[in-house]
Amino acid sequence: MFKYLFAKNEDIPPGTAAVYFGFSSILWFVIGTGLGSFNAAKLAFPDFVTGSELFSFGHMRQVHVLAVIFGWISMAFAMAMMYITPALGNTKLWSEKLGVWNCFLWNIGLSTGLTLLWFGVTSGREYSDFPWFIDLYIASFIALPMAINVWMTILTRRTQGIYTTNWFFGAGVFMIAIVFIVGNSPEWFNLTGLSEAYLTWWFAHNVLGLWITPIAAAIAYYTVPKVTGNPLYSHRIGHLHFWSVVVFYSTPAAHHLMSAPLPEWLKSFASVEGVLILVPAIAFVSNLLLTMQGKWHMFVENVEIKFTITGVLMAIPLNMQGGFQQTRAINWYVHGTGWIVAHAHLALLGFSTFLEAAAVYYGLQTILRRKLFSLALANFHFWFLLIGFSIYWVSMTIAGLIQGAGKIYEVPYIDVVIAEHPYMIARWVGGTMVFTGNIVWLYNMYMTAKAGTEIPEGRLPHELAYER
Amino acid sequence: MAFREYKIGARLFGVALGGSMVITLYFPTVNMTSVAVTEIGLKKQLSYGRISGFSYEDPFLRGEGKPKTVMLDTDPKTGAQIDPIEAYVYEAGVPFPSGINHPRTLGPGVTQLSVDKGMIGEANKGAGAVFVVSRGTSQGETVTYIENASATRGWQPSDVLTTAGDANTKLVGSGKIMFVREGCWWCHTLLPEQTQDWQYFGIPPRLGDFNGESPTAFGSDRKAPDLLHVGSRNSSKEWMMMHFFNPRLVQPHSIMPRYDYLWGEKDASGKSIDFAAWRTAYTEYQKGKTVYPPEVPDYAADSEIRYLIDFVLSLK
Amino acid sequence: MAWKFDKPLHSMSDAEQNKKACDVWEGESLGGIAENNNRVPRAVIWLMVMTIVTAFAVTNPLWGQRPTASLYVDYVKLMDSPQVQAIATDKGKMEYIVNNAKSSDSRTLGLQDRHPLTMDDLHVIKDQIIELENKGVDLEEYTIIGPYVQLANFEGEPKADGTPSRKQPFWDKGYTIDIFYVAYFCIAMLIVIKRLPDYSWKPDHSVAH
Repeated sequence: MFKYLFAKNEDIPPGTAAVYFGFSSILWFVIGTGLGSFNAAKLAFPDFVTGSELFSFGHMRQVHVLAVIFGWISMAFAMAMMYITPALGNTKLWSEKLGVWNCFLWNIGLSTGLTLLWFGVTSGREYSDFPWFIDLYIASFIALPMAINVWMTILTRRTQGIYTTNWFFGAGVFMIAIVFIVGNSPEWFNLTGLSEAYLTWWFAHNVLGLWITPIAAAIAYYTVPKVTGNPLYSHRIGHLHFWSVVVFYSTPAAHHLMSAPLPEWLKSFASVEGVLILVPAIAFVSNLLLTMQGKWHMFVENVEIKFTITGVLMAIPLNMQGGFQQTRAINWYVHGTGWIVAHAHLALLGFSTFLEAAAVYYGLQTILRRKLFSLALANFHFWFLLIGFSIYWVSMTIAGLIQGAGKIYEVPYIDVVIAEHPYMIARWVGGTMVFTGNIVWLYNMYMTAKAGTEIPEGRLPHELAYER
Repeated sequence: MAFREYKIGARLFGVALGGSMVITLYFPTVNMTSVAVTEIGLKKQLSYGRISGFSYEDPFLRGEGKPKTVMLDTDPKTGAQIDPIEAYVYEAGVPFPSGINHPRTLGPGVTQLSVDKGMIGEANKGAGAVFVVSRGTSQGETVTYIENASATRGWQPSDVLTTAGDANTKLVGSGKIMFVREGCWWCHTLLPEQTQDWQYFGIPPRLGDFNGESPTAFGSDRKAPDLLHVGSRNSSKEWMMMHFFNPRLVQPHSIMPRYDYLWGEKDASGKSIDFAAWRTAYTEYQKGKTVYPPEVPDYAADSEIRYLIDFVLSLK
Repeated sequence: MAWKFDKPLHSMSDAEQNKKACDVWEGESLGGIAENNNRVPRAVIWLMVMTIVTAFAVTNPLWGQRPTASLYVDYVKLMDSPQVQAIATDKGKMEYIVNNAKSSDSRTLGLQDRHPLTMDDLHVIKDQIIELENKGVDLEEYTIIGPYVQLANFEGEPKADGTPSRKQPFWDKGYTIDIFYVAYFCIAMLIVIKRLPDYSWKPDHSVAH
């Protein structure tokens, strides 16, 4: 990586930035899920690694959360943007060098920020935990260079049209910059009280709604038509999806604070908008499943499609939960319980991770021009991810319902803790399976880069997946 | 917009995102900034200080540069008996909370009383100041406001601390830092939710209860009891000590981590705490070899656990 | 924009614009990916309409609400009646009160059902409720929290005198903004989609691929 930092832009092979981002993201995924498994063990067995400040749960939890969001998910997005954006414009990445620097600065900044968080240097605001100078770093050296590279690549495209995926990419990098800067403004301007609490959740909601969800969906808009060879089912539904994301997903932030004394009208507004996030979800799922027409055998045979379509299908329960759990009628029961933890993992570890993993699998193979080292290991990865996640999701959902019942029947809290214990162990088992699968993935991709069969010119990796 | 007309699309995008931000950011801000702070809100911001996360004065979140909360029953200037009053002592150099720096954030009525009668404009960070919460009338209604007791009553920070004594001094501001740094709020919320939760954990916070507090640390993922009113349910310092040192001492089924490391190296009498020996003794007790668990050491006056317990017990 | 009065939803573009759009559509390959011009399926439209209706319907009623003081006003009134005094056990007294102070309003009745009291609870809140009644305040704004009757609810819309209401709103400014917001979205989407060539036109992907 270092040899290209000071090379001339023309001397850097196309796709280098994407490869670096790809491997960084996998590494962060391993770290992030490892931390998750460690934290889950602490919840299941409270005296596991105990009495040490650095390894206490309160110091580790946010490191896990931000490592997967800013390390795994966002870097996998950057990886996808670095190779999909130019591919859709029949051009090269605007600046491969900027991309390489972007990846380098991203890893440096994220490592620094997470180390500080680990030592307890935090702003005390969920999801925007980083102290303000790290926020400033992220805005200027992570978000901005990525945005410039994506925009310039779209502007210097050699097609008249811009494909749906690139609408989302171009809009997404803009929205995340705005959301990041506005959402972290309380720290820069020392805003306090309810405004600060609301902006914290405005940020947290919009990072999911205007960054993670649309970009993950955009990746699927590329992977499915590309790998199956089918045209996208409908340009119109693409419009419906894009515009409803911008309009409906950017508004329900207040539904995260239904129990706080926010203005009541704001909660009513956010609650209706919160149900309306089903509109982009319906558009997205229908468009992609209809694109699969005639190619459903690939759901079984092809590893990228297997990941992508699993992710797309998970968008259905995800949005059914997300849409309705925030209404006043249901929120009072599940708010702040394990149900929400399960939902958050359905969004990040279920829906979006499966879509990104497909993009990383596909991208690394195409750029490196090497066939996957082992299809068997890829399938192992898929099943460990899926089963591990399912165990996690089911156990936390049940734990959440127990907590909710405990809440409304005024059960002494310690009884709730006792009742939840088996599910805490199950959660740890599930999380550890995901972690194990990811180690295998890292090995598989490393071996692909080193020892994968070369793909001949003019062929695509999925075409020769079963050839020797 | 017909096929591939990106200029129109980009403008529409701007309108859509801008419109959404006007509704979700501008409109609520108008409502939220027009709220007058309540007595709870005043007490919270005065006892927590400027900020309870990362800040210049306390970059490593050690609880430095925070105000002290003291209970006074004698006037530190005249020595006369007074009704017990809570005073917030900002020693020289300790940054003032939002309400002193930006009185506008206190909300209608309170701002005016604090500036006119409370003389908060005369508070000087270099010299330090002592604040109390007082009652006054604004437009026929009783409101609480901040009084700069250094200006109105001539109370000096050092005098107030000497008069009150260490036993009556609570390091609540530093304790909130511990609460944030140690991630207590990842499991303990500070926000009783709608419905039956209120019966169990008490009255929910109200609109003006947060002005000047940052971060609010509501928490979102409750794995343990809500703590907004924990000081009213359990005010025993000894229970808290045992519970923080090893939660399983008082609650065998607790999944809370041990916070024994907050005791630091020395106990109250200046002796080194032998954690290894304590754990060995505790293991013996767990195995049933001894009848009683080992004694939890008394904490030193400047230990982090003191900050945290002072904060938790202040949550009435 | 050429509006066709006989076929308002066919395509809002004129023939020339449609021709241009079709040529661009068929003429280039975006990284090897093509797009079809299928209609938004009826099922999707139907689901969207259902979603919008449901969104308003499901967020409006306020289940899970704390018991307000007004739920128990009739209970308190009945407490000192000779009929109740004549019953020996607290359980019997409570049963009599619940059966005889039934609200005619089904919503209140449901709330009373969901928040049952014992005679001891009633004794604790009795004086507070009577005091509030004498003050002439709206008891629906007061909530029973443990042994207290308090103004604990969130702050709602301002009342006529400017003070904020503590009742959960049935309708407020938030819903009104929502209606306009959703309406603008639907109109804009209709225009965006109907400016495309009509869905009966199928792009020929062999031109560029």
